[in-house]
Amino acid sequence: MTDEMTWIVQAKNGNDEGFTNLVETYQKPVYNLCYRMLGETEAAEDAAQETFLKAYQNLARYDVERSFATWLLSIAAHHCIDRLRRKKFSSFSIDEDEEGQTELPDRSAPDPEDEAVKKQTRERLQDCLQSLDPTDRAAVVMRYWQDCSEIEIARALKLTVPAVKSRLHRARRALADSWEEKEKRMHLRHERKPYGSPAF
Amino acid sequence: MDHRPFEGWLLNNPSLTADEKRQLDAHLKVCSSCIALAEVNLALKSVKLAAPAGGFTDRFKVRLEVRKKTLRRRNFWGFLLLAGCVLAALTLIFWPFLMGISSSPVELLVSWFGALLSFWSTLEAMALAGFLLFRIVPGFIPVYIWAIFLLAGCGWGLVWVFSFIKITKISQGVKP
Repeated sequence: MTDEMTWIVQAKNGNDEGFTNLVETYQKPVYNLCYRMLGETEAAEDAAQETFLKAYQNLARYDVERSFATWLLSIAAHHCIDRLRRKKFSSFSIDEDEEGQTELPDRSAPDPEDEAVKKQTRERLQDCLQSLDPTDRAAVVMRYWQDCSEIEIARALKLTVPAVKSRLHRARRALADSWEEKEKRMHLRHERKPYGSPAF
Repeated sequence: MDHRPFEGWLLNNPSLTADEKRQLDAHLKVCSSCIALAEVNLALKSVKLAAPAGGFTDRFKVRLEVRKKTLRRRNFWGFLLLAGCVLAALTLIFWPFLMGISSSPVELLVSWFGALLSFWSTLEAMALAGFLLFRIVPGFIPVYIWAIFLLAGCGWGLVWVFSFIKITKISQGVKP
């Protein structure tokens, strides 16, 4: 029996320590999914915590024949999709909620310039992700960050495999369009910079 | 600009021959749309997992404890409410018995049967009134009103069915 299975059995028998070990193991993939889905660190932390609570409360329904990671990610994805839907219909200002944290480049890194470029890529990709439909976003995150197969994504998001393929295809095209648009905007800004104002 | 077959290559990641790679490189030098796709591919493969702030598990333990406490409190009040309802129902049923606690067993049984019979006859009277209304009222209501009622009922039923499907789809314990 693997460690993971031991912890699951312990948790199912009411041992909180077993579940804590599962939280320790899966906190990063679950948080990453929530962060990529919601785009804010605070909301991601809250969503990740809620995901583990839901998993804890529904552990009896978990089928041990299937991957625990996929089950958890499925809960996280559905939780984030619900949250985004609620946010869409809530009265809060979108601008206020989409205000992400601004990271500064790590000056202590061996190559600060390289680090700054990486950071810029990260932020740009995160911005582009926010332009996707929530389900497409979840599919992309599960495919590229979590390395889930199309079958696993289909199970987790309750879609068919061809639907997942088509969503991934469409999402990557949309990401590229958004990426290109940002690139153009950046170029425009750089061109204007020496004069400071578009009026000149 | 024609992006075929380059866009397909970038989206499906097939293994390319040396010649195809050369063609793709040449296309990428002139096509901003395909460059964006290639850059997105690269970014998706290179951006690392975001990690939560330290102490995530400890914060989870605290949250779990709070949730358990809330659940216990809710269960306690729920149980209290249920017990109150059961007690009230029992009091109502056994009222004749309670009233005549000092009477003889025969009197008790008689009063209890009396209460049951009066309850039964009330039910019967209500059923009869309902049946009569059911026979008389349709004659006063035009057919088109019935059609509207029927359609509204069907619509309402459909709303319920779709809502139920929707709710069960986004349930917490999603099976992978």
